[in-house]
Amino acid sequence: MAASAGAPAAGRAHTASRILFVGELTRAIRDVMRDAPRLRDLWVEGEVGQVSISSAGHCYFTLKDEKAQLRCMIFRDDRLSIPFEPRTGLRLVAHGRVDVFEPQGHYQLYVDAIQPAGFGDLALRFEALKATLTKEGLFDAGRKRPLPAWPRTIGVATSLNGAVLQDIRQVLARRWPMVRVVVSSCLVQGTGAPESVVTALRRLARWTDPQTGRGTDVVILARGGGSLEDLWAFNEEIVVRAVAAHPCPIVVGVGHETDVTLAEFAADMRASTPSVAAELSVPARAEQEARLRVLGGRLTDAGRRAVAGPRATLDAERRALDGFRPAAHLAAERERVGFLLDRGARAMDARLAAERSRLVRLDDRLPMLLQGRLDRARTDLRAAAAGLGALSPYATLERGYAIVRDAEGHVLRAALATTPGSPLQVTLAKGGIDVRVERVRDSAP
Amino acid sequence: MPETATLDDTIASLPYDRALAEFQSVVTRLEAGGLPLEEVIALFERGVALHAHCETLLRSAELRVQRLVDGAGGSQRTVDLRPDDEDG
Repeated sequence: MAASAGAPAAGRAHTASRILFVGELTRAIRDVMRDAPRLRDLWVEGEVGQVSISSAGHCYFTLKDEKAQLRCMIFRDDRLSIPFEPRTGLRLVAHGRVDVFEPQGHYQLYVDAIQPAGFGDLALRFEALKATLTKEGLFDAGRKRPLPAWPRTIGVATSLNGAVLQDIRQVLARRWPMVRVVVSSCLVQGTGAPESVVTALRRLARWTDPQTGRGTDVVILARGGGSLEDLWAFNEEIVVRAVAAHPCPIVVGVGHETDVTLAEFAADMRASTPSVAAELSVPARAEQEARLRVLGGRLTDAGRRAVAGPRATLDAERRALDGFRPAAHLAAERERVGFLLDRGARAMDARLAAERSRLVRLDDRLPMLLQGRLDRARTDLRAAAAGLGALSPYATLERGYAIVRDAEGHVLRAALATTPGSPLQVTLAKGGIDVRVERVRDSAP
Repeated sequence: MPETATLDDTIASLPYDRALAEFQSVVTRLEAGGLPLEEVIALFERGVALHAHCETLLRSAELRVQRLVDGAGGSQRTVDLRPDDEDG
């Protein structure tokens, strides 16, 4: 038979009397498949065999069970929109239509959605609710509120039974024990759990401390790991909406790292586990301790620098005064500076003592390499303290100087500021004397 | 700066974050320099006290955990947790 005889119409391919071209038969099979409603829109479950991705980005894989296997393909665009990649050995449920690929003469499933096997109805409900709430904007990034930097009171909604509350307590006690924890208990699985979670959140939302009038600064909603069914309460619409509507920022940590629930999408912050939720809710004590150490060091340095100037001035003044042997004058300003430095020295001493005891404590932990640096710091600090201690004006009086004031109590700085016959008061290291001026000289003898 | 005026005004009642914020501003102002000596000393003393207060808070705090329960007529109260408490 010659091909030039012409192909018969596809519609008559069933007539047994004619020999068909391969293309004709394949087209006929394709048409039958396309006409079958149950092949156009179906879910099929199986285990993934080989997977390959073509250079065009389409994904080819087989689904199999004990009895058969099925070729599947996902077009590039569908592949990119499906949040789930087929991997060899995985059991999954694929949605799509069956069609014939004519050039190769085989039929295959054209996949447009994939779920992990076992989800069944729950998966469909999850997807449907997720789609609805996403459309409503409930999961928008713009709705997320930042967590407070320094929470004073944390609300925890979870079960009193099991390890979760204990885990949260441990994390908070280690990281930020000055926070107050208010627990609002609820059922976290089984019948009544969704309503119980909602009630627990409302209880926290209503509460304010009678003394301070403040409520919770942040709330943790948590539950430990479990099966998909166990975690289901956190995919219920009333729970998701209660999370989204909560009046203060809320962190949700449900299950293990891999579990995802809609309540987490609605939270201001999603935590992979209850413990992580607790960590995210408070500052870290260790960081604060390090911060205080750095700031304490800066305070000491700044204090030392700030008194270094006045001290140098005072030293210079004292050296200059040493030249005036008979008439020792101490300026009122210098006296005042001396008093202040004295006070500064005491404050510095206290600070240095604290610093020293901290250094001693650190000694136990620090490797030998740092020992030299600590010793030097200690020496520096002692020197600074000793330097300040020597600056008291009384120390100067002890060395034989005196403070001379006029009748009004003003400290006398220049001989010409007084006149013969004027009364003056002289302050000595011990006691004072009242004197009268005999003669005024313009220069030291 | 009224909050750094005297040493004895209520440092002990400052929560950590406020004490830390003030401590930071004290250090920054001291570091900027150019202050009269009286103010340097006063700031320094205040800084030392704030530092000690922050350290004490970090070291000595103990976690307080209570349970919030609903009472009659919409009232609420916080109670200590007991091991045999049931959820609800």
